[in-house]
Amino acid sequence: MAARSLRVHLLRMLLPPLAALLALGAVVTYTLSIEPATEAYDAALTDIGIALGSQVQVSASGYRFEMPAVVEQMLRTSRFDSVYYRILSPGGMEIAGDPDLQPPPGDADAYDGSFRGNKVRVVSVQAPCGRSICTVLVAETLVKRTQHSQEILLSTLLPEALIALAAALIVWFGVKRGLGPLTSLSEELKARSPRDLRPIDAAAAPEETRALVTALNGLLQEVAESSRTQQRFLAAAAHQLRTPLADLQTHSEIALAQALPAPARAPLEHLHAATVRTARLANQLLTLARAEAGARGEVASVDLKQLVEGEADTWVHQALARNVDLGFELQAAPVQGDALLLREALANLVHNALQYGGGRVTVRTARLNGCSRVEVEDDGPGIPAAESGRVLERFYRVPGTPGTGSGLGLAIVRDITSSHGAHIDILAGGGGTGCRIEITFPHG
Amino acid sequence: MRLLIVEDDAPLASGLRRMLEAEGHAVDVAARGEEAMAAAAAERFDLVILDIGLPQMDGFEVLRRLRAAAPERGAPTPVLVLTARDAVEDRVHGLDLGADDYMVKPFATPELAARVRALLRRSQSHGGPRMAHGPLALDTLARRATLRGEPLELAAREWAVLEVLLARVEKIVSKEAIIQAVAGWDEELSPNAIEVYVSRLRAKLEPAGIRIRTVRGFGYMLEEFAPG
Repeated sequence: MAARSLRVHLLRMLLPPLAALLALGAVVTYTLSIEPATEAYDAALTDIGIALGSQVQVSASGYRFEMPAVVEQMLRTSRFDSVYYRILSPGGMEIAGDPDLQPPPGDADAYDGSFRGNKVRVVSVQAPCGRSICTVLVAETLVKRTQHSQEILLSTLLPEALIALAAALIVWFGVKRGLGPLTSLSEELKARSPRDLRPIDAAAAPEETRALVTALNGLLQEVAESSRTQQRFLAAAAHQLRTPLADLQTHSEIALAQALPAPARAPLEHLHAATVRTARLANQLLTLARAEAGARGEVASVDLKQLVEGEADTWVHQALARNVDLGFELQAAPVQGDALLLREALANLVHNALQYGGGRVTVRTARLNGCSRVEVEDDGPGIPAAESGRVLERFYRVPGTPGTGSGLGLAIVRDITSSHGAHIDILAGGGGTGCRIEITFPHG
Repeated sequence: MRLLIVEDDAPLASGLRRMLEAEGHAVDVAARGEEAMAAAAAERFDLVILDIGLPQMDGFEVLRRLRAAAPERGAPTPVLVLTARDAVEDRVHGLDLGADDYMVKPFATPELAARVRALLRRSQSHGGPRMAHGPLALDTLARRATLRGEPLELAAREWAVLEVLLARVEKIVSKEAIIQAVAGWDEELSPNAIEVYVSRLRAKLEPAGIRIRTVRGFGYMLEEFAPG
């Protein structure tokens, strides 16, 4: 079944009764106009019958009917039809005419019958002949009547067909026009960022859609409220998690700074490594939850170049600690987005590249054909093409990857990227080795 | 140096105290904002490490009051903000209120120690006419530089570049920032010119173990001086 179309639905509801109404109208109009016409034509036949009756001569020898041949010729053929007649005496004897013309059945005055293979209309007239009354049957073929009835039918049906067509057109275009406010409402909703939960301007909406807009606004408000609740929960959870983790990390680092016997040092180093990993995992999960909750409408103009510049110092120090040459090629790249989440996405990309990407990592921002783009390229082992789809999944790590990552970093990047309507490409590095991860933001 | 830690989480506060004391600082701990204000009013600290998530008077409020009280006490005390909440709002708010640096919990203590050192160094050299970096000393009033106690000849532009880098030791400084600091009103400097000045500086400073690192496509960083 095709998608439910309001137009089709309306037409389906409207057209059958409209057609029935028009058909009924046509029948009534036709009947009403055909009857007087039939009566008028019958009256003309009656007149002919009376005229014929008046030509009957009554004498002692009986009834006699004489008509000059020219008159007879004129009578029998009119412009359209042939006319037949039969004159009977009061006693039922043939006087003149066509003896095989049958009288109407019963005591009717007229009937539709056939005569010599033609359909005819027969009228029986009681016509004065002399001092008595003769019966004159007059019949004519139906050419004129048929033509007239067709004209009547056409003049009835044509306007009604036009009315039906007009109704269908009005429905078709009227529905489109009438639904215009809904279309513009849906355009507005489509153009919105998924993070934008501001209410729709109800005052600007047409009255018919106001109920819908009000209901939508109610829903938006509830979603925004639950999103705020979630954000508050996340902030509280972050605080509750991070402070004890900071305790653990600080104390294990202080302990490791002491001179320790080897049997004590090894487990302490494990403890410390696990703490650092847990801390990073907690941060990633919180970020992921934030990116999901994602609906706080903190969308602003952000220049990716400035974003990178703001983080460059931190990243360079991380790179130095790993002995990686971190470089930049930065051009202005304005986007609409949430600076916090974008920063987190970039930090994850850079962290990944520094961790797994070999000795040289480059961060680039640029604007190409109206689309802003950021990319991080490394010269490490790269991501095999077969894995490039899966590395964006949560908790997935390419088999054989060293270290103890959670497999969340790129999933975070993907979530943040898609919440900004941007797309992410995993490509091979420029030098034939390594990996280049590219995020392209929508036009604008 | 005299440091104040404002942190309500006792285990963390004691850990930080031990760590910073091991670095040779004198450390006081305040568990609440009110305590911190009282301590800051009674004594002059060289650095405050301030947790944002304090009960009642939170870290932002402490920071605001510290900064409001600052003018009569000369150069402002550097404040390193610690936060367990999501970074950006707290950072932006904290930096707006006049914090000098921030760290998100949990953090690596060596990094915290490094940032404390950097902040202390900056606040010591900042505003003062004398800046020192390992064997290098700059007297900005007399415009005299010495390396290992020997006079060091620096052209005006070289001096200006070195001054910018020295004011931000261990921080990367973009070429644009250097150009802005070095170029006069009426002249335009190309990034290539900056490269020339930096390579001249390197030639003069590297024999003494002072290294200027190039950050590809971005700028330069004067590395922390490590003797030996």
